[in-house]
Amino acid sequence: MIPFIQTTLDGLMVGSSYGLLALGFALIFGVMRRLNLSYGPSIMIGAYLGTLLYIKFGPPTYVVAIVAVAGSVMAGIYVERLCFAPLGVGAGVASMVSSFAIWMQLEQASLLMLPRHSYPFPSLTGGELWSLGPFVVRPDYLIMLAAMLAMSAALTLLLYRTRFGLGLRAIVENSLAASLSGIDVERTMLKAFALASAIGGVAGFLVLSANQQVTAMLGMWATLKGLIAMMIGGLGSIPGAIVGGLALGVIEAHSQNLFGPQVRDLAAYAVLFVLLVLRPGGILGTTAVRRGMGQRGGDRWTTT
Amino acid sequence: MDDHLIGIVSNIGVISFVALSAYLLLLTGEISFGQQAFFAIGAYTSGIVTAMWQLPFALGLGAGAATGAAAALLVGLPTLRLHGLQFAIATLAFAEAVRILFELFRYQIVRDGELVGPNGIEGFRNIRYIFENDVSATEFMLIIYGLLGATLFGLFLLERSRLGTAFRMIGEDDLLAATQGVAVVPVKLTAACLAGTIAGLGGGLYAHLTTYVEPAIFDVMLGVHSLAYGLIGGLGTAFGPLLGVVIDIGLLESTRWFAGYRMIVFGGLVAVLLIVRPRGLLDEQLVHRIRRAVRRRPRPSPANDTVLGKELS
Amino acid sequence: MIAVPGFLLSLLVAMVLSGSGLAAGVKAKAEVSCAATAKSLEYDCAIKLSDQRSGAALTGVDVTVGADMPSMPMAHNVKPVKAVPDSAAGTYRARILLEMHGDWAVKVDLAGPVRDRIVKSMRFEPKP
Repeated sequence: MIPFIQTTLDGLMVGSSYGLLALGFALIFGVMRRLNLSYGPSIMIGAYLGTLLYIKFGPPTYVVAIVAVAGSVMAGIYVERLCFAPLGVGAGVASMVSSFAIWMQLEQASLLMLPRHSYPFPSLTGGELWSLGPFVVRPDYLIMLAAMLAMSAALTLLLYRTRFGLGLRAIVENSLAASLSGIDVERTMLKAFALASAIGGVAGFLVLSANQQVTAMLGMWATLKGLIAMMIGGLGSIPGAIVGGLALGVIEAHSQNLFGPQVRDLAAYAVLFVLLVLRPGGILGTTAVRRGMGQRGGDRWTTT
Repeated sequence: MDDHLIGIVSNIGVISFVALSAYLLLLTGEISFGQQAFFAIGAYTSGIVTAMWQLPFALGLGAGAATGAAAALLVGLPTLRLHGLQFAIATLAFAEAVRILFELFRYQIVRDGELVGPNGIEGFRNIRYIFENDVSATEFMLIIYGLLGATLFGLFLLERSRLGTAFRMIGEDDLLAATQGVAVVPVKLTAACLAGTIAGLGGGLYAHLTTYVEPAIFDVMLGVHSLAYGLIGGLGTAFGPLLGVVIDIGLLESTRWFAGYRMIVFGGLVAVLLIVRPRGLLDEQLVHRIRRAVRRRPRPSPANDTVLGKELS
Repeated sequence: MIAVPGFLLSLLVAMVLSGSGLAAGVKAKAEVSCAATAKSLEYDCAIKLSDQRSGAALTGVDVTVGADMPSMPMAHNVKPVKAVPDSAAGTYRARILLEMHGDWAVKVDLAGPVRDRIVKSMRFEPKP
């Protein structure tokens, strides 16, 4: 029983990083109804800028963190300006493909900065372990879990208690009506995009400092894990992102423990596939989709 | 043509099959991130048929196309009632699962004192049909383009048929199509199977062209690329995805002198192109205009004149 | 369905073309090793060719060396270069210029008296 609980705990810990990534994804998808494939590569740009600084000058860790977040916000704004703002509301597929083209661009830019496969990244805690009774936890991941909960709380407050949030929710309901009632749709979307990229940047920094290294696979990894966690939890909803991230982490931890690393990813994809077929709205399902940000989540978002 | 050029042209031909496969689903309004899975299934199947069972090449290609179609049917049955992002991610999950299964897939026999066959993550080496049977690179390129031409011809016939019209109707609005008497699910399933067949056929050709396949080739990158080809080239006609492939691989080759900056230049170009033409170079409007220009000129019928006259007056 | 007639037609083409093939030629075996040069992303590769069955060195073959990145099949490939024969029998050298570090599939194409292709998976890292 104790190993089982330990594995579940490990899964929840790793899952909190997926939850963080999914949070940013859910914000963009919830507001724009469009898929930003460049989400991961934007995080990668920030992380690589931070790493470059760290390797060259060895600044304190918080400076690296600031650079990583600022870098991914900059990259995110670039993506929004180039792939989302100029294309009309109807051009969902074009935006997605365009963000894919920019993915290639951002990834190559990162690799030009740092050509090796992996580099060291500063750790927040020195990678020590804490034991709680019979269980072992890593403080890195506890920070991540706390960051995820704090950020989702802050995001909920922002959405439901501020003017900006009201505007955002109005756009989600009906962007035409929102613009008619005096909301600057384009600016609000840009702000939401920047916010989502900042969340992604924080997620990226925390994950890398827990791993103490950064690899060239970061962009692809962040996009895929964030997307999968969002889909498992429920489209475009904040609690969905958290539940999805944690669920993905637990599934992965258990299947890795039982069958090894290759089957881990296989199990995650299999669960995702079965879940989508049986319950297309994700774990938090149709109610969440109907009520929250993902109102038209089940509809076609791309064609026309 | 030198060997390198033949290699590039053959590559363009083979990748066009995946692009056409993604395009066919785009016509019905669905985005698939997973067409590379059928490409992979076709590649492995036809490789097993020719390199391990020593059966003729044509049989290998046929088996590749058939397994591609069968797999598409199996995936299509549960997923085709999903829409938009959910369908896209379901196909992505399927394709990645297939890739990982190929990483675990080992099936080897001894031939000529050497093991041949899929060997997990190492991939499937020595699909040496074209060397063993002395098919030259040029001949193989002609085979690829013969099959591609036949597929395109089939697609053109399809687009002129009732079925093709049904595809586009569903792509515009499936509810409306259903009220017009289109059986949405069977028609979509047909589209998915045809797409799987085309991808499987392309996979068979790919395996024999490169003589080796490994699971890493068939990851999400290939799937998203093949979607992008349709969008870059245009969704108005089956030539669109082809144009997309030519632009992509052609541009990549011609921007080689940007060396390390190649993807930066190319990514930017695609993004700008999509701002100017969100449905690709050969979009429906342009295709329609070309068709009208071609069709109208020879025979302006009297009936048309009166209609036009009425509208003008 | 509608693609069927076209497909049959091309099968015919394929069969006619493949019917002309005859005996299997020599099956080649290659050992490839690459070392980084002073210039970044440039590698010197030494290739040793032999007959898979007899083990005899293969000489006088036109050797071309190229590379693909399996995870980005179209996006990253290397313009193939001709290899030149080295001093020992069956050995060749080529200098390739990659686009990035990482895992590559190095393709050795043989033409002339022996036609074959050998593919090796190799990881290229920058010089430490």
